Amino acid sequence: MLKKIALLLCSFAAIYLLNFTIPRLMPGDPLDYEGASAGEESTAEASAEYKAYLRSYYGLDKPFAAQLAGAVGRNLRGDLGYSVHYRRPVTEILAQRLPWTALIMGASLGLSLVLGVALALVCVRHRGADRAIYGLLSGLAETPSFLVGVLLLFFVAARVDWIPLSGAVTPFGSYPTEWARALDILRHALLPVAALTAVTAPELYFTARASFLAILERPYLLNARAKGLPEGRVARRYILANALPPIAARFFLSVGGAVSGTLLVENVFAYPGLGTVMREAVKYRDYPMIQGVFLLSTALVLLSLLAADVLNGLTDRRRGGRL
Amino acid sequence: MRRIVLPGGLFALIFVVFLWGAVLYPHSGELPSAASLEAPSADHWLGADNLGVDIYAQISRGFFNSLFTGLSAAGIAFLAGGVLGVGAGYLGGWADLAVEFLISVFLSAPQLPVMIVIGAFWGQSRLNVICIIAAFSWAPIARQVRARTMSIRRRDSLRLARSWGGGLWYLFRFHMSRDVLPLLAVGGVGVIGRAVVQESSLAFLGLSDPLAKSWGLMIARCTGFRGIYFTPYWKWWLLPPVVSLVATAVVLRMLARALEQSLLEES
Repeated sequence: MLKKIALLLCSFAAIYLLNFTIPRLMPGDPLDYEGASAGEESTAEASAEYKAYLRSYYGLDKPFAAQLAGAVGRNLRGDLGYSVHYRRPVTEILAQRLPWTALIMGASLGLSLVLGVALALVCVRHRGADRAIYGLLSGLAETPSFLVGVLLLFFVAARVDWIPLSGAVTPFGSYPTEWARALDILRHALLPVAALTAVTAPELYFTARASFLAILERPYLLNARAKGLPEGRVARRYILANALPPIAARFFLSVGGAVSGTLLVENVFAYPGLGTVMREAVKYRDYPMIQGVFLLSTALVLLSLLAADVLNGLTDRRRGGRL
Repeated sequence: MRRIVLPGGLFALIFVVFLWGAVLYPHSGELPSAASLEAPSADHWLGADNLGVDIYAQISRGFFNSLFTGLSAAGIAFLAGGVLGVGAGYLGGWADLAVEFLISVFLSAPQLPVMIVIGAFWGQSRLNVICIIAAFSWAPIARQVRARTMSIRRRDSLRLARSWGGGLWYLFRFHMSRDVLPLLAVGGVGVIGRAVVQESSLAFLGLSDPLAKSWGLMIARCTGFRGIYFTPYWKWWLLPPVVSLVATAVVLRMLARALEQSLLEES
């Protein structure tokens, strides 16, 4: 278990280092770019002294290790740099956008869990439903989330009046009550959440189905039924309770896919979360912003992997449930 | 082997349809040959986009671009996964630890954000997209190959050959390839399908070669067209690349699954 944690920490360090090194490996540096008057080729280049001044001002003349140490120190203090495009600190923008991403990602993960488990329960009981649902979800699992989003946009949002095409709230909307506001947010979140759920639910469904099928063959189930326990109690206490650990672990593992999916789906619906920020940052070559989103999403994914590992360790029967 | 017939046939069908569009179909996928946003007709089978470029010709070129990207990424993943997996499994010790660490880093890193960062910094070209996809595809293959190599390392025939002085390449060719190569091949086919989807995702975000014909780019351009939802144009501009992408991804996945299962049956 400790080994797993160490491995994840090392992974984070490696990814962090990659993130730090890539811009410095590129030919040229930001000052050559800035020095040529806002990036356009021009004869009025900055003088060598001015460049040297800027370089020492930004600490780019220091050795690599010193730059790295400085960056780590700043990041640990919650300073992720200054966005070139938005002209505000990166942390501030992230704090502003994260709730939207968290909203649709959390909602779709929760919905996928409920839907996946429910469908798996149905499938385990009815053979006919099993065939249809299994085939359908196998196809959906191969479809990229942004495509589902695009299709929903054209087939649902463009035809149904009360479903908006993009955004997270009605621009300049005023609400008489908090309820109206919540309803507006809900309406806007509906399709992005649906698109994400459509691609996340299959994974959870496959895990839940396999888990249920494995448990249905256990002798203790036969025993429970032989004792004459009511079917509802058997389903809850015997099947669901025992099938849950792998499903929960899978839930945390699908956070990685959900992060990627959210980044893409947000762009389809112009949802003002991290994904749209990232795309804009790519467009404007806003490097501090790209790296900020990247660090945040990496940390999120690795934390959920850790949660899955801890959960697996806790429920591992062979080791008596110890870490 | 019978399992492969259906997905293989479907893939051949897709291939022929797009080969027709790329070779025999009279219109160019680059230059405008119709009126802007022209509806499908006998001349332009799937209509034209906003610049008047024929859609069928475009998606056909997109198919071969995607396939090329997928095959190249799969080739790199095949080689890297094979070399690192066999090396780690056979040599053990430090080499094994190092490869295991690399594998777990690449498996735990969130793919899309890393792809976006690398794509953003290295610039937009097909080579970069191929490298990025390959970098995120070799790890699962290497992990399987490593486990397989470890399990066959202690075979008597292998130990005997080694005691006679066989080098690693010789041992691989005559004593390991029969166990390892099918595993590698199945992994490689799986990579092609995922690469097609990943390439279109990157293109949709504007991170692939902006000049190449790509399904993701077509979808991004179409959805970015102002007011497209309320016109009939999306029916022939958006649906062809979407349908092609889903069909290709699903058929390639079926093919990979069929190969996997026939491999399981054999062993």
